[in-house]
Amino acid sequence: MIDNNKIIETLEKKLMSFGGDSKTQNVGTVTKNTDGVITANGLSNAFMGEKIIFENGSAGTVFNLDEDNVSIILLDDASGIKEGDALRTTGEILSIEVSEDLLGRVIDPLGNSLDNKPKIKIGKKMPLEKIAAGVIDREPVSVPLKTGIKAIDCMFPIGRGQRELIIGDRQTGKTAIVIDTIINQKSDKRPVVCIYVAIGQKRSTIAQVIDRLNSEGAGSYSIVISASASDPATLQYLAPYSGCAIAEYFLEKGKDVLITFDDLTKHAWAYRQISLVLKRPAGREAYPGDVFYLHSRLLERSVKLNKENKGGSITALPIIETQANDISAYIPTNVISITDGQIYLQTDLFNAGIKPAINIGQSVSRVGSAAQTATIKSVSGKLKLELAQYNSLAAFAQFGTELDAATQKQLDRGKRLTEILKQPQFSPLTENLEVISIYAVTSGLMDDIPTDSFPRFEKELHEFAKKHYQDLLEALSSGERPTEQTLKQINKLVEVFKKRFV
Amino acid sequence: MNKKTIDRLVTTSYQNDLLDQRKVNKIASLISRPDLKKYLNGLKFAEKKKNLIIASPVITADLKKFEKLFPHKKVILKKDPSLILGIQITDNDVVYNFTLKDSLDKIQNYLEQNYD
Repeated sequence: MIDNNKIIETLEKKLMSFGGDSKTQNVGTVTKNTDGVITANGLSNAFMGEKIIFENGSAGTVFNLDEDNVSIILLDDASGIKEGDALRTTGEILSIEVSEDLLGRVIDPLGNSLDNKPKIKIGKKMPLEKIAAGVIDREPVSVPLKTGIKAIDCMFPIGRGQRELIIGDRQTGKTAIVIDTIINQKSDKRPVVCIYVAIGQKRSTIAQVIDRLNSEGAGSYSIVISASASDPATLQYLAPYSGCAIAEYFLEKGKDVLITFDDLTKHAWAYRQISLVLKRPAGREAYPGDVFYLHSRLLERSVKLNKENKGGSITALPIIETQANDISAYIPTNVISITDGQIYLQTDLFNAGIKPAINIGQSVSRVGSAAQTATIKSVSGKLKLELAQYNSLAAFAQFGTELDAATQKQLDRGKRLTEILKQPQFSPLTENLEVISIYAVTSGLMDDIPTDSFPRFEKELHEFAKKHYQDLLEALSSGERPTEQTLKQINKLVEVFKKRFV
Repeated sequence: MNKKTIDRLVTTSYQNDLLDQRKVNKIASLISRPDLKKYLNGLKFAEKKKNLIIASPVITADLKKFEKLFPHKKVILKKDPSLILGIQITDNDVVYNFTLKDSLDKIQNYLEQNYD
């Protein structure tokens, strides 16, 4: 609704100032247009990252400043721009309008709506490129960000403000982990704003993700930024920075934000394409020399602010797609070294039916354990070690050698642990249910249950607990170390349920 | 031909701040077609640097005063009724806008950005 008084006031103000405020513009002329990269002369006062407006209304941003020309990457269609066209600087750095209205919306990296819903209200201008918060403004990661995935929450916990890489070949369940994590936030007491940045993906895949988020009720607190494979490389390059700018808006309000970049491999490809068109020197795998900085400056914006700065956080879950499980390629090693840990998904495990297909040995969370609650820590303490030992023993056991009773027991336990860590897609669990499942196996309560009945047993056990053991579930939600009595109650719950289980 | 050589050719083409037609023709006949394009752009750029364009909806005698303010520039007066009121000065790639059209454009932009 237009406020008439405000319009008149603005007009009066502008007219009153007529003649007083000279507007200095820096102008130039297009000399070349190559694949969305414009070379122009003039613009002697332009600065890096400045927004440029062309004669036909198209926008661009300064990407190269040379001795006598300027290279500009286009943010719109390149076809309308021809040699000799005029262009001017705006004095503004590229930014995106952010407001609460963005929640539940699908936008492009420039903030334009893609979902045919009402116009997004103009909000605060947030710069796409910003220097990350300094060390004084930060505090260590201490609050968990629950993914609802047992294997991750127990062994590779993620804290709010952490950067945890999800890495693996195609079709190993990388996006599924991210979607599950977003869905799981609806059950969290401290709400988290979720931002899903799709870079260089098929539009059909993005549509599926949006559909899933909406059907699971996660749409209301999520924002999807779409830069699909059919969008210009410039938009794909800008998409993660837009996501970060939006995340910083909510961070300024003291909120916790989860941002997922799906995926940074394609982001690096887009940047490589732009750099090659700009004739920047190509390095390893034809990537430009600053490809490390491309991702480090992006992920460095993930932060846990201290109380003086409202205590908000940005947790980043970047995704990297590997080729033939090669995590030592250029981009994977770069991003592994930048992030605070990685969850490595393997095709072999996926094909063997272990979903999520997490490789225990090569996955790690470097800071997350500080954010793990005492409840989950108490049941998952030795889980990772036991599973790692099981995996090495299982390799030997394949040769069919005779095994002593202790080794056999260890193998059996490992098999059960692997089985309980399996989890279907789109069904994240709350922490209390995760604790019950893990404790039931690690304490040997499920030793007499055949492993192929585990999924049904677990599902029905959870339903039984929700119905008859509400007090126990509440005690396990406190985040504190379970008392002897709580553990006894879990024992009782499982024993009672076992008698009913057919 | 590199940029330095082109710049030298452009500088040589001038005599007493004026283009020497004889020199320009001679240079143009000796260089290749791609270099000729670069040379032409160089000349255009040099000319642009020398000129100061003053645009206004009405040309008055007062505008001639600008010639004294910029003694080293060739002042070109241009009549542009679309500016509505005021004056626009273009010095190479910098434009100083003191026009009503610019103020109205600013208001239009503001309204477009802030209201449906």
